[in-house]
Amino acid sequence: MRETMRAILGLPPRPAPAPPEPPPRARDSDEPIISFRDVHLAFDHPVLQGVSFDLAPGTTKVVLGGSGSGKTTILRLILGLLKPDAGSILVDGSEVSRLGEEGLRPVRLKIGMVFQEGALFDSLTVGQNVGYRLVEDGEMSEEQIEGQVREMLGFVGLAPLYDRMPSELSGGQRRRVAFARALVARPQIMLYDEPTTGLDPITCTTITDLIVKVRDLDGVSSILVTHQLRDAFNIARTFMFRRNGEFLPRVVEDLSTLEGTEFMMLRQGQVEFRGSPHELQTSDDAYIKEFLS
Amino acid sequence: MATRTQLLFLSLGRRLSQHLKESVLAVQDYILLTAQGLNALVTPPRYHQELLAQMDSLGVQSLSIVVLTGMFTGMVLALQSAASLDAFGARPYVGRLVCISMVRELGPVLTALMVTGRVGSGMAAELGSMVVTQQIDALRVLGSDPVRKLVAPRLAAALIMVPLLTIVSDTVGIFGGSLISIFNLKLSWEFYWRSVMNAMVMNDLVMGLLKPLVFGLILSSVGCYMGLNTSGGTQGVGLSTTRSVVVASVTILSSDFFITKLLLILFPVA
Repeated sequence: MRETMRAILGLPPRPAPAPPEPPPRARDSDEPIISFRDVHLAFDHPVLQGVSFDLAPGTTKVVLGGSGSGKTTILRLILGLLKPDAGSILVDGSEVSRLGEEGLRPVRLKIGMVFQEGALFDSLTVGQNVGYRLVEDGEMSEEQIEGQVREMLGFVGLAPLYDRMPSELSGGQRRRVAFARALVARPQIMLYDEPTTGLDPITCTTITDLIVKVRDLDGVSSILVTHQLRDAFNIARTFMFRRNGEFLPRVVEDLSTLEGTEFMMLRQGQVEFRGSPHELQTSDDAYIKEFLS
Repeated sequence: MATRTQLLFLSLGRRLSQHLKESVLAVQDYILLTAQGLNALVTPPRYHQELLAQMDSLGVQSLSIVVLTGMFTGMVLALQSAASLDAFGARPYVGRLVCISMVRELGPVLTALMVTGRVGSGMAAELGSMVVTQQIDALRVLGSDPVRKLVAPRLAAALIMVPLLTIVSDTVGIFGGSLISIFNLKLSWEFYWRSVMNAMVMNDLVMGLLKPLVFGLILSSVGCYMGLNTSGGTQGVGLSTTRSVVVASVTILSSDFFITKLLLILFPVA
């Protein structure tokens, strides 16, 4: 009926409703956990034009680019908040661009997202925000949820703020609570949308340390969207390990030896560069040089 | 070769056509949202805590303005009608007139307009803020359906509380009319209330309770639709709030005419 009305109105048809999705096939361990294939999206103007990339399990991809280059759109597409006009997006074997809201639910359970400003629910306390997904799942008792929430708040260093409201928190604290909320269900994939933008250098370091911890200690695959080059390189060159219950960082100074982090630069919706931090730093491309300067 | 006038008309035609298409699409989206919201009321999962919070916000917290509006409307109605009825020596009919006016028209309409101003705008502002701060996206990512979580409880609260508030408004309005009749128009208490009871028939009650149901649905669904369609940051939130009050108020007033017309056909006044 809606399509008929849209046809009468001369508007482009909406994407066809997704056919019943077959259960996602088991993914080989070396297959990418996220795969973009020739993805196009336009609103009034082109936003993404033929973007393709893979994210291997346990690795980090840093997406760089100026404002309006389509960085955040990539995250929204992975989460199924937007649908591409063309191309395919596979998340752990599921084609998210063909799934409806119900079908997307199990895919979204595998993903944790840290929004740019935190996107905490104003009407809920910090504890309720962090435990929201666990309550919605309905599989744990209240005591279990509280235990897990307190543990996660301890991980981000905000355990005493359990009963506070989001309006009482600083910008950095909001970001860390958002971090805890995204991590509480132990996702396989973490997406970060400008997690350090607008924060002071000390809080930035706290956030980047958290990102590294999650990557190295839990083996979580992640995509980091940012235009903060300093933080992006810090994440690439810092590794975290645990000794005697303590988290210890190891910083690699020589970028040419780094593994596990790939940089991708977008320009006007197209991939301008893809490679290692060392390749980015030594690139001859005029735009990249200007961006890095 | 087209003249400048022809080109101007062509351009105007295109813009008009585009505007018309967008309006029709907006109505379509509004109807879909309302239908999905109503469907979510009768299918699980339901959010009972959210419903109770909305009933408190929409109903209990609106009680004072509804009581004040109803009281003064009933009082002014008694004063005005007495002045007109005196010309025909029909002052004793004041109670009848106040009762019928309040129950059939003024109670439902004024209550709905007051709740629209207080709560409908609040719904649009709250949901609009959630949109611009990405809280709606966060809800979806965390596995909740915003229609079930946010829209359905607001629709249910309005469907329950607006009729109850209207009953309060009617009662207080008729009581306000009685105060003026006794202390200002020198009618007796018994005479006024006998006149009220004689005036009230089943048709009045049907009309008086059906209208608030429809008005409740309009004010809540318009508030939710405007809020969820917010764009453009905090300025957009302000715009959505204003639009929700204007659209809901005009829709309530215009639908009142059609509901009255329909009910008068279905239940003719004896």
